Amino acid sequence: MSLVSGPGRAASSALPDEIQLAIEPHVKYIQSLDSRRNELEYWLTEHLRLSGLYWGLTALHLLGRPDALSRDETIEFILSCQNENGGFGAAPGHDAHLLSTLSAVQVLATVDALDELDERGKGDKEGGGKLAVGKYIANLQNRETGTFAGDEWGEEDTRFLYASLNALSLLLLLHLVNVNKAVDYVVSCANFDGGYGVSPGAESHSGQIFACLAALNIAGRIDLVNVDKLGRWLSERQVDGGGLNGRPEKLEDVCYSWWVASSLTMIGKLHWIDGGKLTEFILKCQDTKQGGIADRPGDMVDVFHTHFGIAGLSLLGYPGLEEVDAVYCMPKKVIERVLGPNK
Amino acid sequence: MASHGIPRPATTAHRTEQQLQEEQLQIQEYRDLEDLIRTKIAERQYTLEVLQLTSKLLKKNPEYYTIWNDRRRLLIYGLFSESSDSSSSSKEPSSSSPTVTTSTSSEGVSSSAVSTAENLTTTLHDPPSRNRGKSGTILDLIKGELEFLFPIMIKFPKCYWLWNYRLWILQQANERLDPDIARDLWNRELILVGKMLVKDSRNFHGWGYRRMVVTQLESQELHGKSMVESEFEYTTKVIHGLNGLSNFSAWHRRSKLIPTLLDQRGADDATRQQFLEDEFDLIISAMYTDSYPYAQSAWFYYQFLMTTVTDYVGHATITPNWTQEDRVVFVTRQLAVLGDMLDGAEDCKWVYDALIEYTLALCQMEEREPLPDEKTDCQSWLMELRKLDHLRSGRWDDLEISLEKR
Repeated sequence: MSLVSGPGRAASSALPDEIQLAIEPHVKYIQSLDSRRNELEYWLTEHLRLSGLYWGLTALHLLGRPDALSRDETIEFILSCQNENGGFGAAPGHDAHLLSTLSAVQVLATVDALDELDERGKGDKEGGGKLAVGKYIANLQNRETGTFAGDEWGEEDTRFLYASLNALSLLLLLHLVNVNKAVDYVVSCANFDGGYGVSPGAESHSGQIFACLAALNIAGRIDLVNVDKLGRWLSERQVDGGGLNGRPEKLEDVCYSWWVASSLTMIGKLHWIDGGKLTEFILKCQDTKQGGIADRPGDMVDVFHTHFGIAGLSLLGYPGLEEVDAVYCMPKKVIERVLGPNK
Repeated sequence: MASHGIPRPATTAHRTEQQLQEEQLQIQEYRDLEDLIRTKIAERQYTLEVLQLTSKLLKKNPEYYTIWNDRRRLLIYGLFSESSDSSSSSKEPSSSSPTVTTSTSSEGVSSSAVSTAENLTTTLHDPPSRNRGKSGTILDLIKGELEFLFPIMIKFPKCYWLWNYRLWILQQANERLDPDIARDLWNRELILVGKMLVKDSRNFHGWGYRRMVVTQLESQELHGKSMVESEFEYTTKVIHGLNGLSNFSAWHRRSKLIPTLLDQRGADDATRQQFLEDEFDLIISAMYTDSYPYAQSAWFYYQFLMTTVTDYVGHATITPNWTQEDRVVFVTRQLAVLGDMLDGAEDCKWVYDALIEYTLALCQMEEREPLPDEKTDCQSWLMELRKLDHLRSGRWDDLEISLEKR
């Protein structure tokens, strides 16, 4: 799976009144991504390969084409990215990092192969199997503050806190960390506008808000959110063109269709924005011929925006798409299979 | 990679055979370099030569986080322990035998063990001639890293790994150098991040970095003291600068500084009240003079100030000793200011939104239901909101329902 942008380009000008989701081109686009080894960009994006697989695979599942990538090859690739410490790197030979570890767990859960970790996973020193992955993650928690580092070098960010709770809950190993402390930390990141930042004192940002709300949701503490204030702030992310931005007075971008709309969903306020207009904006960012979705109309497509565009459409109830889970950004069916229907 | 804002050229002409061949050569060159670094790191060749190889690769691809990690390993298990720095020699005058060599240091050792090993090699007992290792002093190495990073950061200002690596290098300075020297480095960072924020005044990384630099400069470890006053001044400067009114990052930072600022000034009640009035004057006159009241950043700051009055329990407050009556008088006055603002800005939804919000807040403060007049006003403002803002009609529906219930 590659993150090479292009070759497609989102439509830029006049569109027919009834623009449709170009399902087949998107499927082909995602399938073609790993065959672009003759492009320098393919090699320059290796540090995102595993997350790229998560984005592409999840998009395919939401498009109703779960078999469009080989399950066996997917599992082989994921396992080949695991390090001896139990964590996963972005590609074979890359250092372990929490973000790629989350993607690995999500992909394995999606293709119903978490048990492969127990069969063939690394990290014997940590007990092997799922436990080794769980321990790798648990060791990244800051026991004093409750937040998480992305890797052994110590960068802390509420994204990592969410990534940890997400992966650990899918592994059914949430008890390895101090969830209450993590919740306290999220609360300490809240701002007067109801939003959340990277760390205490940081400006509210839609991406971090998604991470913090989803973390609170996994911890069962969504009651701590100032729903009214946050809902207002989030609803003001929608700009005249229908798209959503990440912060006040910034440009709209398809990936915020996910960060903002999923956040609104988690607090029960998705109806506070115009779903029809947002749908139209996402569809305008497609390359309907060669497949793929871009950040804005007329820009280069890539698998990151393709995934978040399709996930956004699924949240908005676009016909024919599989339902997405707002907390995990994975197919609802998968989450119900792993965590049970009343997660 | 995830491409943001990269337009696709209108012509997507096929590349010539020669162009394709050139690309294959570039790929080969890149992958060879990557392999070479991998091999040398696996052999623990933590040398200047390998450091330069990683520089070459990272200039091409600053997102390659594993190579940044290799660079860290190169420094802490290799170059830092080979070099020495006179300034750090005063740190640990306890041992005389610099026995730890890079070839035996293991990657498994904790960072504290590494810094102990480092101190062993740089003791007072070292003759001055040994204070310069073959790769220069630790300070030279750290400065070299900071200089290496700068042009890459200018080119890729949104790359997380760059900001992250830069902080790590500076933390190494804290651990390995004399506090005054480390402080000097952090001071330069404040200037640097100031420049970065001039280039892009909303850069999320830049604002976050600024907070961390200030925290360091305020720390006891670096003999610092509070910088709340100068940081507050900085936000004033940014807000009065180009597009400052729309700079929510600056307003946000300001909102976080104010409570500490007033505490540190030891402000009495009268001073606090004056401060609040001045902030309101600032935001309202900005709304009038700049792009008129259409900038949402300004409205969120207005909301912050109002929240300190209406919803102060458990939140930041500016006037903690105000009585309920003081607060009610103040909110009533603000409602009049908002009403005046409508004159000439009848098409500004933010004014209507605020009028409804603070009318209801007033009722809540007085623990009463809206009076018939207030209810009628709110309903007419809501009608304006519906006319002006179609995107959020679902929100207005909910608001209408909640008004009806009152």
